[in-house]
Amino acid sequence: MKNISITLLILLTTSKLFGQPPVVAKLQAKPVALVGGMAHIGNGQIIGNSVILFENGKITEVAEAGRTTPDPARYEVIDITGKHIYPGLIAPNSRIGLDEVGSVKATRDNSETGVVNASVRSLVSYNTDSELIPVTRSNGVLLAQVAPEGAVVSGTSSVVQFDAWNWEDAAYRKDDGLFVNWPDYFSRGNRFAEGAGPAKKNEARAAVLQELDRTLTDGLAYSQIRNPVPVNLKLEAMRGLYDGRKTLFIRADYAKEIIEGVQFARQHNVKKVVVVGATDAWMVVDFLKENNVPVILNALHRLPTREEEDVDMPYKLPALLHKAGVLVGLAYGDQPMQLRNLPFVAGNAAGYGLTREEALMLVTSNNARILGIDGRTGTLAVGKDANIVVSTGDLLDMRFSDVTHAFISGRQISLDNKHKRLNNRFSAKYGF
Amino acid sequence: MRKLVLGWSAAVLFGISAFAQTTFPRNGVYDERPGLYAFTNATIFTDYQTKIENATLVIRNGVVEAVGTNLPVPAGAAVTDLKGKQIYPGLIDLYTSYGLPEVKKEAFTWASFALRTPQYETSRKGAYNWNEAIRPEASAGDQFVVSTKSAEEMRKLGFGAVLTHNPDGFARETGAVFHLGKGRENEVLFKPNASSHFSLDKGSSKQLYPVALMGSIALLRQTYLDADWYKRGGTKKEANLSLDALNRQLSLPAIFDAGNRLDVLRADRIGDEFSVQYIIKTGGDEYSRLEEVKATGAPLIVPLNFPQPYDVQDPMDASAVAINDMKHWELAPANAATLAKANIPFALTTADLKSKAEFWANLRKAIEHGLDEKSALKALTTTPATLLKMENQLGSLKKGALANFIITSGNLFESDNVIYDNWIAGKRYVVTEAPATDIRGEYALTVGDKSGLKMTVGGKPEKPEIKILTGDTTKINVKASLSNSLLSLAFDPNPKSKGSETRLTGWIAGKTLKGEGISADGKPVKWTATYTAPFRAEAKKDSAKTAPKDLGKVVYPYVAYGSEKKLAAEDMLIRDATVWTSENEGNLTNTDVLIRGGKIARIGKNLSVAGVKVIDGTGKHLTPGIIDEHSHIATASINELQAVTAEVRIGDNLNSEDINIYRQLAGGVTAAQILHGSANPIGGQSALIKLRWGEGPENLKIKGADGFIKFALGENVKQSSSLVSARFPQTRMGVEQVMMDAFIRAKEYEKALKSVNPREKDAVPVRRDLELEALAEILNRKRFITCHSYVQSEINMLLKVADSLGFKVNTFTHILEGYKLADKMKAHGASASTFADWWAYKMEVQDAIPYNAALMHRVGVNVCINSDDAEMARRLNQEAAKVVKYGGVPEEEALKMVTLNPAKALHLDSRMGSIKVGKDADVVLWTDHPLSIYAKPEKTIIEGTVYFDAERDAKMREEIKTERLRIANKMMNAKNSGAAAQTAQPKPSQDVHCETIIGLEE
Repeated sequence: MKNISITLLILLTTSKLFGQPPVVAKLQAKPVALVGGMAHIGNGQIIGNSVILFENGKITEVAEAGRTTPDPARYEVIDITGKHIYPGLIAPNSRIGLDEVGSVKATRDNSETGVVNASVRSLVSYNTDSELIPVTRSNGVLLAQVAPEGAVVSGTSSVVQFDAWNWEDAAYRKDDGLFVNWPDYFSRGNRFAEGAGPAKKNEARAAVLQELDRTLTDGLAYSQIRNPVPVNLKLEAMRGLYDGRKTLFIRADYAKEIIEGVQFARQHNVKKVVVVGATDAWMVVDFLKENNVPVILNALHRLPTREEEDVDMPYKLPALLHKAGVLVGLAYGDQPMQLRNLPFVAGNAAGYGLTREEALMLVTSNNARILGIDGRTGTLAVGKDANIVVSTGDLLDMRFSDVTHAFISGRQISLDNKHKRLNNRFSAKYGF
Repeated sequence: MRKLVLGWSAAVLFGISAFAQTTFPRNGVYDERPGLYAFTNATIFTDYQTKIENATLVIRNGVVEAVGTNLPVPAGAAVTDLKGKQIYPGLIDLYTSYGLPEVKKEAFTWASFALRTPQYETSRKGAYNWNEAIRPEASAGDQFVVSTKSAEEMRKLGFGAVLTHNPDGFARETGAVFHLGKGRENEVLFKPNASSHFSLDKGSSKQLYPVALMGSIALLRQTYLDADWYKRGGTKKEANLSLDALNRQLSLPAIFDAGNRLDVLRADRIGDEFSVQYIIKTGGDEYSRLEEVKATGAPLIVPLNFPQPYDVQDPMDASAVAINDMKHWELAPANAATLAKANIPFALTTADLKSKAEFWANLRKAIEHGLDEKSALKALTTTPATLLKMENQLGSLKKGALANFIITSGNLFESDNVIYDNWIAGKRYVVTEAPATDIRGEYALTVGDKSGLKMTVGGKPEKPEIKILTGDTTKINVKASLSNSLLSLAFDPNPKSKGSETRLTGWIAGKTLKGEGISADGKPVKWTATYTAPFRAEAKKDSAKTAPKDLGKVVYPYVAYGSEKKLAAEDMLIRDATVWTSENEGNLTNTDVLIRGGKIARIGKNLSVAGVKVIDGTGKHLTPGIIDEHSHIATASINELQAVTAEVRIGDNLNSEDINIYRQLAGGVTAAQILHGSANPIGGQSALIKLRWGEGPENLKIKGADGFIKFALGENVKQSSSLVSARFPQTRMGVEQVMMDAFIRAKEYEKALKSVNPREKDAVPVRRDLELEALAEILNRKRFITCHSYVQSEINMLLKVADSLGFKVNTFTHILEGYKLADKMKAHGASASTFADWWAYKMEVQDAIPYNAALMHRVGVNVCINSDDAEMARRLNQEAAKVVKYGGVPEEEALKMVTLNPAKALHLDSRMGSIKVGKDADVVLWTDHPLSIYAKPEKTIIEGTVYFDAERDAKMREEIKTERLRIANKMMNAKNSGAAAQTAQPKPSQDVHCETIIGLEE
């Protein structure tokens, strides 16, 4: 309780003083014990009445409440009886920190011009002071993969955590992946023309595929040279693809694009491949499974691709894939304003064929595995970073979701944000 | 003006005998001939239903003089014996642009709008209409140049006359009837100014207005009104050749080009308003809205443009093809038959065919699909002639009619029929040369010293097929050709050894064929074939004529998840549910609701009702249907782009076939306001609809609902993302002025309407102005504003403008800064319709907060949560739940934000929005607490009709798969047997989010 009031105090002071994103939390000074909450581990398991201990930023105990009693002298004990504990949610394939105001080009840094931009790095543009970050983490999303979007080879992504003074501090996994926009099978021509004609087979794609082929072939050869002269920044950025340090994220939706992209990557000795988007994944479930390719589904809040597609196909797609044994993660695509709704797309998936705990995995442990950070986060497990969210009710259902505490590497972060500040300001106007 | 008058007086002077170049000086000796011909022993169709055998046709000077049996052949007539042949009236095509230049069009794109200054005013020079797509002043006769090639192409098909017009603009140049003979333009122009023409296609106009379908309709309506005003005295105010022309065309047959079944209905609504019964040119898909199309009462002009099968060999590619496109491939050939069976009058046209050469093949396909030959002939003769009001001159062979007819080998509609001659205006045009003699038969052949050969001549008279039988049973195929009475034959006498050929030239001598030649071994030979027996035709195989079996069924609407029968209301009792009344009673557990006659009849526990369907609601929740206050589904266009377009109406272009209607039913939506977009400060009029899936556009509308209109403020209307700044306003300052100006004009308009006395002799009537009329309705509280708005300054501005001019803003939509001035909104009495948590996508939503709805609600504003998005509308219950999360609104109040509150905002709360006895039975049965993310609608019911049913949905998914498979197999068969197939590719997407490129997102 004391803790909450301190948070509130900080919250009010910061807002009054700065009208800015809240102050970054200091390193965890004291071990913390969260006692009495229902722990949703993130791997499908639940502990109904739990004790979670963490210290120096790492989780040291995850247990049934009866089995450990934290010493109040040593631990800052937070009683969360009746509440729910979750691993911090992870948003892959996001634009957050790169796109502040969608309609204003000056505030957007998500899409670079060119064809092959492998060396372009999202991390250096990531704006830790974005107003969107505190809003997003208030709903339990604590980490994100920030991904560039333009060109054919868009560039290099990084995973960041949501409470930092600058992008260096924010970096959680630097340069984790390379994003490729797989050339469309069908081009819609000018999709902005009212009454645009039917989509046509994309005639330009052969040339794009040849360029991709040349790039990945050259990249593989280049990766075998130790000290190349001259240095080629683009090919340098691709070295990791061939030894598994970097994952190739292929944005592809149409079934044939998915198959083609994955096979192309395999043929070019790319070690780790993830398909992003994959709206047609239901047509190629076995292919994905056999090739052991994880999938990141963008916003489930979309319409079915085809008129006759099952009306609920977007909603039930995660269950279809998960049950077939495909590793599935959920993202919210290119709408940073919606990132705070990431828990609710998981909730939606739970409404269509998954258990709530399975649905939770799609935004925690599965995303951690896909992004290669599962050794550090994604579940509530001893030894992992204390990236933890506490909510009074079901985090995946907006009816109950209400985040009261959030920790990143054990640091209790502020849950203040611009929206709450404006709410307070105008509540005051009306005397509420 | 002089040119015009001349054109019209010429029209009056033209008569039927105007085909000689009387006024032209001649170079050479006069060559006037009697033009008297008699055709004897023919089978003659004097019209589509009268067939006389062994008859004679006499024509003189291009006109039918007599037709009948036992007619004397007049002296001096050139006689043609047509024994075994048939005569039909020449065919007529009402929809051509024969002899006219091609219309150059430039499609509107949002990109071009954003990148270059649009053309706001007409570029036409002259005293014409303000909009350059209204161009009725000229006649097709003016620009017409005889096209020898097209004429010949049409003659080959059997056509003798066409109506031709320039397909450019909404109100087009008049059409003219030409016959397809050779000659100067003066000779072939049969009737200038024969028809007036209209369309929903802007054509070559580069003027910005209108860009939207509903704008096209509004412009046509206003043009009719303007023409009427012009007639009643508008001439005193301005000279307008376009309106003048329109007024003079009122008595002409009016032909409306409608691209598809819904455009047919749209066109007819325009006609109804101005007492014009259009003849409507269709797209060939009207069988899929037969009932509605028939109700228009419009005669149709129907193309035979049947789609090719899709190449569905690759199942993944095939998945891109929508099921209705697959079905249309199967059913398009049955369209004409369906119309004929429904007794809808129609003419057939060669328009829209990829190549005119497809005409007969497609017409025969239509016949195979059930079109009877009589109807087919009628649709090519009598009907088009009657529609042109030229039934005495065209379409039949009665005395006095133009001598347009075709001579055929037999039944015109049989696949082996040959058209020999096409006579046009008394002149013969040979299509296929008929041989002077039918040489078919059996012959004894002697070639040189070789005799005793048997020769059979079969095939068709003009294209004989010849075979020689040698002593044994060896059949030798002979290459033969016949021209006039000259014959050439070539054959290999020893086909097994493949030696050289015997080549013969010959002629017909009575019953004998004879001639000279060179034998296979190079020696000159004489040959003779002596007739021994008549030709025995092989019995025709009837298989080709059997109607295609197993045709699929039309579904309503004609897209996925349509039903074969339109869904109907039932009485039902929903038992034992948790009922969210959205009334003072609040939530009632274990409660029954009786639906009877489409209304909520009773609410209570353990109701005992006999004889109605019972639905078990145990453990489930029943809520009022969701009402989406801000939606853009089910409409063919969204945005018009002039600053003020109060005249346009979404209701003019509803799209009842939008799959999003069904998808939203699956999300519990029962009613919606379909709004104009936000591209301009004063947008268009809304349509309030119920999601009655399967019904036509008019039945979607909520009868008796108040009129609404979209206004918009801020970034979109000041064109923030556009690179050009031509349109006023470019600032919020300018927006205020647009509003002030518009309403002041509307007030003056009203005043003028009241002050001008039409009975006064010299009074110039006030021009009825659809735009000002709609604004005046707002001033008179007969139309209500839903205003797109974001920041508090602009909201406050509009409140002040409204107060100063005495009108009300009914609803602010989006209203993401509503929380900053909820007190002022409440004082004004405005509702708010907002997003639960959208923000950050543009500058004016930087202060948007998810607590907005809750704050406004607490201040006492009527708050709705809307979608403005076809996807989000599928889960508005979840969006309402966010209002509980952000701001702690009680759950029952939160649900009202998507049910009762929007009903109030739309003035529908006396009829819907809550579960109350007497209200419309628009309800949703949920699997779970309706604000829970885990809840799904199990049934969505509108006025007692279950429009979405989860169980039925599951069944339909399977049916769609089966139906796709069935048609795919058929398509594969068609392709494998040689049909050209089109590439499988996705349809253009239906969700209209094009606004984003020019910053018009909501």
